[in-house]
Amino acid sequence: MAYDTLPEDSLTQSVMRRLALVWIDFEGRLEQVPIIRRLNAGRFTLEDYRALLLDLRQQVVDGGCWIARAASHVDAKHIDLRSRFMRHAVTEHRDFQMLEANYVNVGGAAEDIRRGRKNIGSEALSAYMFHKASQPNPFDLLGAMFIIEGLGSRKATEWGTAIRDTLHLRDDQVSFLLYHGEEDDDHLADFEKWVTRIVRTSEEGDALVRTAEVVARLYALQLEEVGRG
Amino acid sequence: MNDVQWLGERAMQDVYLTAAGACLPGAPVPNDRMVRHIGVLDPQSERLGRLILRHNRIETRHYALTETGEATHSNASLAATALRDAMGNGGYGMEELSLLAAATTQGDLLVPGHASAVHGELGAGPLEIASFQSVCASSMMAAKYAALSVGAGEARLAAATGSEFSSRWFRPSFYTPAEELLQNKEHRMAAEFLRWTLSDGGGAVLFADRPGARTPSYKVEWITLTSLADRFETCMIAGQGPEHREDLRNSWSFHPGGPAAAARDGAIMLYQDMVLLKRIIRAWVGEYLKLVDGGRVDPKGVDWLLCHYSAHSLREEIISLLKTTGGMIDEEKWFTNLPTAGNTGSASLFVMLDEFNRKGLARPGDKILCIVPESGRAVISFMMLTAL
Repeated sequence: MAYDTLPEDSLTQSVMRRLALVWIDFEGRLEQVPIIRRLNAGRFTLEDYRALLLDLRQQVVDGGCWIARAASHVDAKHIDLRSRFMRHAVTEHRDFQMLEANYVNVGGAAEDIRRGRKNIGSEALSAYMFHKASQPNPFDLLGAMFIIEGLGSRKATEWGTAIRDTLHLRDDQVSFLLYHGEEDDDHLADFEKWVTRIVRTSEEGDALVRTAEVVARLYALQLEEVGRG
Repeated sequence: MNDVQWLGERAMQDVYLTAAGACLPGAPVPNDRMVRHIGVLDPQSERLGRLILRHNRIETRHYALTETGEATHSNASLAATALRDAMGNGGYGMEELSLLAAATTQGDLLVPGHASAVHGELGAGPLEIASFQSVCASSMMAAKYAALSVGAGEARLAAATGSEFSSRWFRPSFYTPAEELLQNKEHRMAAEFLRWTLSDGGGAVLFADRPGARTPSYKVEWITLTSLADRFETCMIAGQGPEHREDLRNSWSFHPGGPAAAARDGAIMLYQDMVLLKRIIRAWVGEYLKLVDGGRVDPKGVDWLLCHYSAHSLREEIISLLKTTGGMIDEEKWFTNLPTAGNTGSASLFVMLDEFNRKGLARPGDKILCIVPESGRAVISFMMLTAL
């Protein structure tokens, strides 16, 4: 593996670097997703925004659940990681309500967004998350959290601001995206510490990075499928 | 990834970078005298200018436009003068040169190519020429072509030049036709950033099949260049307003009203999309981290980093990204002359190398990593040198 090419390089740095590469590749892919292209080009419409919220909601509503399931599969030896997962679950598990409120505030009907079904990408992403969360000591989910928290700290504010400015919306119509940007700043700050704590072998590092890769791909697929039912 | 392999290790002969030269026209111009050269647009422009100068931290630069608006050079003569300087620094006679690869963002003419103009100015007998038009990284396209030609045995001494006469574009007459558009805050910022950042100059480097006799010589280990235009929209643009950039058929030359009407639509101003730039910077860092991860760059083994960047604030952004990923090269190893020489686009790296040589900073065996990112449509280039 790439770890071995630089003998003085620490395992943590190598994992962090490979995670950064997964992230950067993911961002490049997002640039090409049609709905994001429209946003970047200033051609984003209110219909686009409603479709985005409707589709995101179907997966976000599961977010707190898979993390809670992951926490329940962490053994007592790793109790601090269990706390980390549970904290994350608490922060996230009501997010979908804010999302629904945003949808209603831009003229959507509450029953529409609640009745919506997952798009193909959301189906795949959610199924993968629950599958991983059901394994004993699902530490490689840290790789999934790297991507999802990265979306919160980097992309959510960027998208939220662009959507607000393009569509001339009030903050309470884009609070789900704007709020994530503020909240998730410290989520990323302690990530390196957790990698050092959890990753002891290059195989564990590989598994964590692989999980990040899969989640990044499936998240992009979810956005590619927005509005396609 | 476009993983370009340097063929030198297998099929090609060793290539040496044996001299650098520069042409920075006129006296250094401090911040408070800039408008005497580029001209007064309006008070709002100067307020923004002060803000942008705080971000880029450029203190002096050079202009090939005098305070009375006369051009002291052409773009081509900036390149030719820098090349003569490099030839002198390397102790070469003009008859030894057999190839000229000339790079720029905007030549003096629309037609023909820039290398023809530079060769015309140089007057050094018949030469093979190649023109490279891009933005900052055009210099590295020219450098790679020149170096590969030497490596392949096609040339024994080959020159690469980079030159910019940016200030032409920053005179008020390039903005006033589209005055209305400048009332929009975002449009104004996109149009002003480069006005207060770029300046004029030429740079040149020479590649040879053997080490030079005079200035420090470097073995060229490899040169890579990667475009990410497959995923990013255009970030630095002239020829069409940024709001029309998705379709090239909206560019100035397609305008049914002709060039004057295109100018009124804002097609002639030089824009920088500052929001997109931040996303592209992360992608550039990614290309660098791939080199680290693949073992081609060992951050601890790099003795000098010569990285072209347009503004100090962008350097800060890059550093914070590198620190968390084990890719950081200690800041005391970074060499730059951006604050005094200004940002001269495609000339920048060669102008930087020239000053680096004159300061005599490299010791034999030192590894020198040169990086030229180009925001144009997300290009990044790396060159690794070993000092002899």
